[in-house]
Amino acid sequence: MSVPAPSTPQLQTPQTDRQGRRISFCLWTIFSLCALSAIAFFFIPTFIIRPFRYQAPRALFLAMSLRQRAPLGTLIAALTCFVLAFALWRTASRWRKALLTLTLLVVTFSAVVARLNYFEWMFHPIAGPQFLAQADSKLDPKEMIMSVRLGGDARAYPISQMAYHHILNDVVGGVPITVTY
Amino acid sequence: MLHFYLAGINNQNFLMRDRETGTWWQQITGKAIYGPLQGAALDLVLSDELTFGQWRTESPSGQVLAPVAKYTKEYDSNWEPDVAKLPVVISFPGTELKSRDVVIGLTIDGAARSYPWETFAKQSPVLDRVNGTPLLLVLGPDGKSFRVFLARIDGHDAEFFLQANSSADPAAHNKDWTMLDTTTASQWNFQGCATSGPAQGKCLARIPALKDYWFDWRNYHPDTTVYKR
Repeated sequence: MSVPAPSTPQLQTPQTDRQGRRISFCLWTIFSLCALSAIAFFFIPTFIIRPFRYQAPRALFLAMSLRQRAPLGTLIAALTCFVLAFALWRTASRWRKALLTLTLLVVTFSAVVARLNYFEWMFHPIAGPQFLAQADSKLDPKEMIMSVRLGGDARAYPISQMAYHHILNDVVGGVPITVTY
Repeated sequence: MLHFYLAGINNQNFLMRDRETGTWWQQITGKAIYGPLQGAALDLVLSDELTFGQWRTESPSGQVLAPVAKYTKEYDSNWEPDVAKLPVVISFPGTELKSRDVVIGLTIDGAARSYPWETFAKQSPVLDRVNGTPLLLVLGPDGKSFRVFLARIDGHDAEFFLQANSSADPAAHNKDWTMLDTTTASQWNFQGCATSGPAQGKCLARIPALKDYWFDWRNYHPDTTVYKR
């Protein structure tokens, strides 16, 4: 003769289940929002300020304000994502685990790249500019240069070089300048 | 003291940020457009665009930025035609010029004017007035360098013309290149200084000017006028 199972656990289980599902739903929602914001902090500015694309004034403003906040924003979002993923991991199905892992990878990518300046990967800056006496320069006389004269010091910046580096911080005749092309 | 780095692009005019405050600055205007220093503006330092040959004769003790060995492969001496091939993202149809036309742009008391390079080079020296200010735009002896001066000697408006045999010659550096002014009949060199005559030793005041593409100049100076000969 079988003994009927105690009724209390039978009643409790669906309740815990429903509660658990509600908590898990909340955690998944927060996880998704954090993941989306981490991704937005990096990808929206990157998309807006890419070369050979028109930048509308408002889009540019959005790009700059996101990029300005991206290092901190992506860090907070990514950390929250990791904590939530840890909490969700045990109960998650296999495909949800894959989703968690993939999302964490993208979020980590956003947080890392938000701290890096990929424009300087395309156009490397000049770390410690070196200068040559004009007689030692091998530049062709027909090449174009930009020049300044400050406090008796004359400097020439070959455009062929500046068109690649784009920007150089220099001090000429005691005046700090930034040379741009 | 701020240190700037390349941080983005705004319609093919770059954006820079400074390491100290993270403020965003627009290259062409030197203005802080976003961030803690928003509204501030950098002072423009007078600069020239010259051939190395021209600069060398003017600056015997000058120093030249050395090429960085690691990146010499990236340097492009043919940058001008190469850049001209790149697409543009803004254009101003219905204006007098094409997007990639090169202009000399300048601003006098808020009034902007641009001089199409081809017109300027053919006509040099160009005498013009912007907001009543007399200007002298002149192509160098090498046919590539240019400078803009205030066309005034001792407070008096003056006119200039090239002395015979002083035509710009890109092939050979013309050492005898001189201008004459109609007021004192003095001889002037490309640096804007009188080398002989009653004005000897005097130099004309410089006017900052930018060699730029029409689309970029027009984008940041919507009210610019265009010089016509």
